[in-house]
Amino acid sequence: MLLTLQRMGPGRYVLYAITAIAVFYLLLPIVFIPILSFNASRWLEFPPPGWTLRWYEQLFTEEQWIGSIWNSVKVAFLVTASAIVLALPAAFVLVRGKFLGKTALNAFFASPMIVPVVIIAVALYGFALQWGMAGTLFAFVISHLILALPFAIISIGSSLQTFDIAYEKSAMICGASRVQALLHVTLPSIRPGIIAGALFAFLISWDEVVLAIFMATPSLQTLPVKIWVTLRTDLSPVIAAASSLLIGMSVLLLGISALIKRTRK
Amino acid sequence: MNSSTGSGGTLDAGVPQGSQPARSMAANLLSIRNLSKHYGDFRAVDNVSLDVRRGELMTFLGPSGSGKTTTLNMVAGFDTPTAGEILIDNQDISRVIPSRRNIGMVFQRYTLFPHMTVAENVGFPLMVRRVAKPQIAERVTRVLKLIRLESFGDRRPSQLSGGQQQRVALARALIYEPRLLLMDEPLGALDKRLREEIQLEIRRIHHQLDVTIIYVTHDQEEALRLSDRIAVFDNGRIAQIGAARELYDQPANAFVGAFLGNSNFLTGKIATANGGRYQVTLKDGSSIEAPARLALAPEQPVSVMFRPEKAILQSVSETSGFTNRVVGRITENVFLGDSATYEVRTASGELVTVKQPFGPSETKTRTMDEEIAVSWPHDCVHIFPIDR
Repeated sequence: MLLTLQRMGPGRYVLYAITAIAVFYLLLPIVFIPILSFNASRWLEFPPPGWTLRWYEQLFTEEQWIGSIWNSVKVAFLVTASAIVLALPAAFVLVRGKFLGKTALNAFFASPMIVPVVIIAVALYGFALQWGMAGTLFAFVISHLILALPFAIISIGSSLQTFDIAYEKSAMICGASRVQALLHVTLPSIRPGIIAGALFAFLISWDEVVLAIFMATPSLQTLPVKIWVTLRTDLSPVIAAASSLLIGMSVLLLGISALIKRTRK
Repeated sequence: MNSSTGSGGTLDAGVPQGSQPARSMAANLLSIRNLSKHYGDFRAVDNVSLDVRRGELMTFLGPSGSGKTTTLNMVAGFDTPTAGEILIDNQDISRVIPSRRNIGMVFQRYTLFPHMTVAENVGFPLMVRRVAKPQIAERVTRVLKLIRLESFGDRRPSQLSGGQQQRVALARALIYEPRLLLMDEPLGALDKRLREEIQLEIRRIHHQLDVTIIYVTHDQEEALRLSDRIAVFDNGRIAQIGAARELYDQPANAFVGAFLGNSNFLTGKIATANGGRYQVTLKDGSSIEAPARLALAPEQPVSVMFRPEKAILQSVSETSGFTNRVVGRITENVFLGDSATYEVRTASGELVTVKQPFGPSETKTRTMDEEIAVSWPHDCVHIFPIDR
């Protein structure tokens, strides 16, 4: 290797410093917010004058907070399930299909990643009002699904792309019907892609706020919306506790996926 | 061992034989009739007909793109013929889906299911046929013993070597006792030593189980080693079918002569025909004789073929040799231990290779640039017409 750390001499300490700054910058909110959530002060004060679990107690006892946590969980699970159910056949078509306009369709499925979220939000809001869906669980699910679907399709599609179709052929010549080959050979082989897609879908829905604000009503809010609304009226450290919950869930899921990857090897 | 693993019904296939009538024991298991596969203007397989006898190991030999794999894929059901019929036991199966053909197949690429153990892989064909679990376990043990990997049942395919993986793939293809086993260059990814080892294994299993096998390869040595008969493919057509010896000694055309073994080709034209022999005038002016196997008119340009080991080298002054003789200079001289190979350039600039084995009496080696006579008997000559 031309550029190894040893050969760079003292210049490498500059690299170390830049890396350290980048890590610190990325970690700051993840570390700072949980610290503040144990803050004994009534204000988001730093450094905290003392420690308490009061804000978590409030988070898990106040009906509005609990309700919003529960809504977030419900929406995220429904989004995950629907994203996988829709992404699986879509990925098969996009990877296996041979038809005119396949590339265009591929790009189209990725469009929600490019179109500004606020535009999707406005469009969905218009629809939701017209059909009287605003503030329903269904509205949350279909709006988050728009954002989650491209990620699910891409991760399932890429694992299907690397799956050698000869496995399916040999399953069929062994006597397996198409359905048996799919269930016993193809799906288990692309499971990492399905799991990754599901995690993406869950996490996207779990911390999504823009679409949720448009779809929310005072009686039906997700956790990020509740944080946002609370933030505008008072700066209680309960917000830090709720945010820590969001961060904790995301870190937990990423940890699980890393664990699954490791045990597979 | 033979009695417990033989195909005499001890391992029933586990599939309903469906509409198959009382199984006729005709000599031919598979008959391919006028089979074609066109991709647009390209004829991948062009009007191929052949019969595979019951219990036979037939190889499809040919260069890549000659249509052998496409033909195999149509037999397996992965490709649909443009025209023609594929009959197994006198029934046309060309529209039957692969899973209902009761054919086994081993692929070139390793296709063991990576998320299953060896035993699960081998038991897979029985699992999809809904055979009871204890029975699957018993038959898996038996077939793993057949390929001598009985202690590997709990391993993952990734923990096996390439050769072991292909043996497991073979076991998976054999466990349901298919009426026909297809092998598509199964040893292509293995090194030479391992390849020869598994070739022996395949021969042993073929004899032990009496299973009918079609084996696709581009490796002529592999074809010679394994086959009862060889079908040589060229440009989507069958160039010749026959036992190895037949193809080597009696090639039907220049392609077979060149593809199977080493050959010399000299150009010339027919001078006269008499007494079942042609007189052929070669490019360098010399005249040789050849058996008249084909009816050819005088002046017909021909390609004259003979094998390097059928010719001998002599001093130009010696006259005791065979009927046919050309003179030239040695341009290449390769010592191979048990033999030496010489390349001789004739007056017309054509090259002739002579393989001289070092038997008990032959010990002489020739030197470079020596003027030399190449002599060979007339009955070892094959002539093929060249289109004018």
